[in-house]
Amino acid sequence: MGAGRTAPDEHDLLARSLRRDPDAFGQLVERYASSIVSLAYRMVGERADAEDVAQETFLAAFKALPTFRADARFSTWLYRIAMNKCKDWLRTHRAGQGAAESEAEAAWAELAVDQATPERTLTQRQIADHLERAIQKLPPLYREAFVLKHVEGLDYEEMEQIIGVNRDTLKMRVYKARTQLCRMLGALQETR
Amino acid sequence: MDEAELLLQRFVDNDLTPDERIRLLTALDQDATLRRRLLEIERLVSEAGRLPRLAPSSRFVAQVRACLRETNATRWSRIKNWFLTPRVLHWSPAGALAIAVIALAVMSGVSRIAIDRSAPPAAPPAATEPTVLVRLVLLKPQARSVAVAGDFNGWNPERTPLSRVDGGVWAATIPLKPGRYHYMYVVDGTQWVTDPFAHEESLDGFGSSNAVLDVELPL
Repeated sequence: MGAGRTAPDEHDLLARSLRRDPDAFGQLVERYASSIVSLAYRMVGERADAEDVAQETFLAAFKALPTFRADARFSTWLYRIAMNKCKDWLRTHRAGQGAAESEAEAAWAELAVDQATPERTLTQRQIADHLERAIQKLPPLYREAFVLKHVEGLDYEEMEQIIGVNRDTLKMRVYKARTQLCRMLGALQETR
Repeated sequence: MDEAELLLQRFVDNDLTPDERIRLLTALDQDATLRRRLLEIERLVSEAGRLPRLAPSSRFVAQVRACLRETNATRWSRIKNWFLTPRVLHWSPAGALAIAVIALAVMSGVSRIAIDRSAPPAAPPAATEPTVLVRLVLLKPQARSVAVAGDFNGWNPERTPLSRVDGGVWAATIPLKPGRYHYMYVVDGTQWVTDPFAHEESLDGFGSSNAVLDVELPL
């Protein structure tokens, strides 16, 4: 076997992408597709919509690449674009959100009653499903802060760069998100 | 949010000073409700960290790559490609008849002009303003319909529908006079979408951005 081909590093791919090489940027898309689709899914709540938002994110990033500062992390910059695209999507679809929320509220109440019997034990998968649904019910500002902090595992410094809001405000949003989620999940956690 | 709750939240983020930690641990020792709250928050954080990362659909990366290549192509190479790409024409007898009638009408007009050529011209013909063919493309595999609305069609999406081509790509080629145009795509008749390929955008005053298109004649 020969030396084998090693994957090009991110710096190299970015340099080629800056020279408008779509194949190099395509490799960056492959690397970050899962992260961006996951983030978008947690913000918009539907897989097909999440892929649309993720696609818009990558195309916007390719177009705006000349504005990317080399001293910043590419992932942080990409997350920032993705978050802005998610906010645009939520703004456009806000009209239909009321009905969807009330449906989710009713389904949630039904589920909580159904699951709150002592003999039922929630599986890990069920807990994850309930948590996903509860996250969808958070107000968007709390949702984005909670998802970046606890689902994506970012620190507040990186979150400041992505959301463009100061650290104390972000912390307060995370606190409030955790409080609301605990309240929503409280009935279910008792059954574990 | 009361002081105890705030201490709990900051404890979870490892933000407490040594004195604050002692205050909180003392309070936890004396208050079962507070202990339960801490347990709930820790459980939540732990479950959130275990949520799975979604794998994109198998076609996702290929679709984005196709769009990137399209974005990278110059406007003129896109127009050239449009002219050079072989296409299948769908026709119907009624459509063919209509075209034949139009062709006959044009031929008869041409022969009349040829007959009248000996007579002196009454007035110079109006100069037709040159136009440029512009190809508009949007990738929307899930869409049922896509149209474009802009300055060039009175912001009426019904006038300029896009056709679905391979791979979830919607496209239309329209002749435009040189100038600057604002436009947006309309997906499924209700969803207004800014063109992700647009080189420039401008706020529309309704919280969204119009795509901006500059049409120039070739030098």
